[in-house]
Amino acid sequence: MKKALQVAAREIVATFTSKGFVIGVLITPVLIIISALILSKAHLETPPRVVGEVAILDPTSEVTQGVTKLLSPAAFALRRAQDLELVAKNLPVSIRALALQNGTQTLPDAAKKLVGEVPELHIQKLAESADLKREKQALLGKQEGPSTRLALVIIEPDAVRRAAGKQDFGAYEFYVREKLDRQVEGEIKTAVRESIIAARAKAYGMDPKEAEYLTDVPWVESKGVTPEGEQKEHAAIAGLIPFAFMFLIFVSVMTSSQYLMTSTIEEKSSRIAEVLLSAVSPMELMAGKILGQFVVGLTVLLVYLGLGLIALTSFALLGLLDGWIIFYLFIFYLVSFFTFAAFMAAVGACVNEIRESQSLVMPVMLLLMLPIFLWVPISRDPGSTLAVALSMIPPVNSFFMLIRMASSTPPPLWQIWTSILLGLGLAYAAVWSAAKVFRVGLLLHGKPPDYRTMLRWVRMA
Amino acid sequence: MQNAVVLKGVTKAFGDKRAVDDLDLVIPRGSLCGFIGPNGAGKTTSIRMIMSILFPDQGDISVLDHASALEAKDRIGYLPEERGLYRKMKVGAFLRYLGRLKGVASARLKSQIPTWLARLDLEGVEGKRCEDLSKGMQQKLQLIAALLNEPELLILDEPFTGLDPVSTRSLRALLAEEQQRGTTILFSTHMMAEAELLCDRVVMIHQGRKVLDQTIAGIRAQFDPRSVLIEPLDPSADVSRLKALASISRIERQNDSYALRLQEGADLAAAMRDIAATVAPAKLEVQRPSLEDIFVQIVTAGSQESAKELDIHAPAVTEKGRVSA
Repeated sequence: MKKALQVAAREIVATFTSKGFVIGVLITPVLIIISALILSKAHLETPPRVVGEVAILDPTSEVTQGVTKLLSPAAFALRRAQDLELVAKNLPVSIRALALQNGTQTLPDAAKKLVGEVPELHIQKLAESADLKREKQALLGKQEGPSTRLALVIIEPDAVRRAAGKQDFGAYEFYVREKLDRQVEGEIKTAVRESIIAARAKAYGMDPKEAEYLTDVPWVESKGVTPEGEQKEHAAIAGLIPFAFMFLIFVSVMTSSQYLMTSTIEEKSSRIAEVLLSAVSPMELMAGKILGQFVVGLTVLLVYLGLGLIALTSFALLGLLDGWIIFYLFIFYLVSFFTFAAFMAAVGACVNEIRESQSLVMPVMLLLMLPIFLWVPISRDPGSTLAVALSMIPPVNSFFMLIRMASSTPPPLWQIWTSILLGLGLAYAAVWSAAKVFRVGLLLHGKPPDYRTMLRWVRMA
Repeated sequence: MQNAVVLKGVTKAFGDKRAVDDLDLVIPRGSLCGFIGPNGAGKTTSIRMIMSILFPDQGDISVLDHASALEAKDRIGYLPEERGLYRKMKVGAFLRYLGRLKGVASARLKSQIPTWLARLDLEGVEGKRCEDLSKGMQQKLQLIAALLNEPELLILDEPFTGLDPVSTRSLRALLAEEQQRGTTILFSTHMMAEAELLCDRVVMIHQGRKVLDQTIAGIRAQFDPRSVLIEPLDPSADVSRLKALASISRIERQNDSYALRLQEGADLAAAMRDIAATVAPAKLEVQRPSLEDIFVQIVTAGSQESAKELDIHAPAVTEKGRVSA
C-alpha cells in the first residue's frame, strides 16, 4: 500500500505540474471568473443620468399629454420603484430568505445601480408642419444638456382613431440618437405605447384605467404539486442544475481518466514500466496510478463545484441547492471514476501510443456521451421508465441518477442506493479485470489487442 | 540460503512459441553469473520471470528464499533490457522516486544519490531533465537506480549494450566491486567475451532451453584444449612439415599463424616440444575455445544432447583458409 501511495503521489505531482493541466483545468476557470467579474462589474456600473429632449409630432393632439406625464421624473421614479417591487416579489422564496438572512441590501442596491438615476427628459412638441428631415438631423447633434435631442416620436394620424374603412389603428415612428441608453429608450417607447392606448380608450368612451386593468394579466410562476405539498418551480434554474451536476461529474471523470490513460501509455512507450515493475507489483502500480488520478479528478470536481457555488452565492441562488446532492455527487464521482479509470488504465497498458487507443476508447466515449444527449428528456421527465432504467445501468447510472436527483422530482432513496450499489459492483469488476489486462498488456509491444484478446487475458491471467 | 535464485522446470510460452522450455537454474549466493545466448534465446523472459514481472506457465521459482521476487523486490536491483526513464523528470527526482519505491529512506537517498552520480562520472546532472542526458549517461543513470538500494541480488539484462569502451570498463569494475560486497549478480548478454571476462559461472540458453550451465573453471576443464597456435619465426617457413608429426591431425591457417589440431589422446606437453623442434616459433600457445566457440559449436549441433555426441574437443571454427592435413 505504501508503494501504491508513492506511485499515486508521483502521478498527482506529474499531472498537477503538466502544462496541459495547469492551462486546461486551473487557468481556464480562473479566466472564466475574471471575465465574469469584469462583465458583472461592467453591468453593475451605474449608467450616467440621461438628460435631453424628446421631440413629439402628434397630429392627433391626444397622445402628447400622456407621454409628457409618463416621462416626468416623478412618473419615472414611481414606475421604477414599482418595477423593483415586482422583481422582488417574483424572486424565489429561497433568495428572498437568503437576502433577509444576510441582512444585506445587495439585491435592491444592485437593481438600483443597474437601472441608474431617473432621467430628465424634456418633451418638445413639434408643429404639424415641422420639417421631419431637419428634426431627424437634430438627433445627430453633438451638444450635451437639456436641449440635446434624444428621440423623435412621430404619431401617425390614425393612431388614436381608426381611419375610415380601416379595421386597424395606426401606430408611431420612433427615431433615436445613436448610443441612447437602452433602458431609457425602452421606457420612452412604453410611455408612448401606454399613452396611445389611453388616448384610444378615451376616444372610444372607455375609462383609460379600466382599459389598463382589462389588458393587464401578470406573469405567474408555476407551482408543482407534490405529496409534500405545493412547490414553487423555477423552470430555468431547475432545468440547468441537473445538467450542471451531470456535467461536473462528466468533466472530472473524463479529465482524470484521460490523464490516467495518457500517463500509462507514456510509461509504457518510454519503457519505464519495466523499471517500475522491478520495484512494485503490477497491482500496486495500477492502484497507485488510479488513486493518484482519483485525487486529480477530485480536485477538478472541487474546483468546478467551488466555481458553481461561488456563482450561485454571488447571485444569491445558493438556497436552490440541496446539501445532500453534493454528498451524492462525491459518491457518484467515486463510483463512475473507478469504473472508467480502470478501463482507461487497461487500454493505456495495451497500446503503444495515443493514436492506437482511439479504436478501443471510442465505444466507451460514446457511452459516456449518452448522458449529454439524453439529459433534456431525462430531466424533463425524471420519473419515466427510461430515466429509471438508465439511472440503474452502470456505468452511466451515476450521470442519469444525478440528473434525476437534481430535478424537481427526485427519485426515492432506495433507487439512489440501488444505483450506487450496482455502480460499485461494476467498479469492482472493472478494477479486477483491468488489473489482469494491465499486467499482461504493459510489457507487450507491437500490435495492440482487440476487445476479444483483452477478455481472454482477463480469463487466463 | 546457499542459492540466491533457483528455477525448477520453468516453462513460458507466448502463443505457440515456447520462449523458455523446462529451465532448471541454480545461482549460488555471491556468484557472478553470466546468462548468455543469442537474441531471442529466452534470456529476457527468464529474467522477467525471476523478477515476477512475468509468471511461468509451469515450474517453480525461488528468489532470495522467497517463492516470488515480489516478496523481496526491495533486496533486488534490476536493470531491464529496455531502458526506461521519465523523460521530463529531473535526474535527482527520478532517482529519489525509484529509491523510495525500493524502500530506501529519504535521508539516505540524499547522501547516496550524489555519491553514486559522482562514482559514475555524472556529477552536476542532478538538476537536469533525464531527456537532456546522452544515451550512455541515461544508461548509467538506470544502473544507479538499480544499485541505490544496495541489493543482495543484482540482475542486469544486457548491461553492456550501448556503452563506450571506457564505460564498459567502469561497469566491469563496478560489478567486481559489487560482487566483493557480497552481491549475487546475474547478467544476461549476447557479448560472450564480456561474460568470459567477468563471470565465475555461465549459463547458456538457446531457443528457450539451457544448453550449458558451468563455472568458468569447469568449462575450461570440460572443453579441454586440443589445439595449439603457432606463429613461425620465419614467415616463409614450411609449416606443412608439421603434418609429419604423429600428434597433429590437421592444420588451419589463421592470418600469420596456424592452428594445429591435436590427435585424440595426444600428450599436449610432448606435442608442444615436437612442434617447437620442427618449426621455430615466434609464438606458440595453447588455444582455448572461447565461450562463443563453444556456443556456436553447441547450437550448430542443434541441442545439448546432440552436442554431447559431437566432438566437443574440436578447435575454433574459423572462416580462415584451411591447410589440409
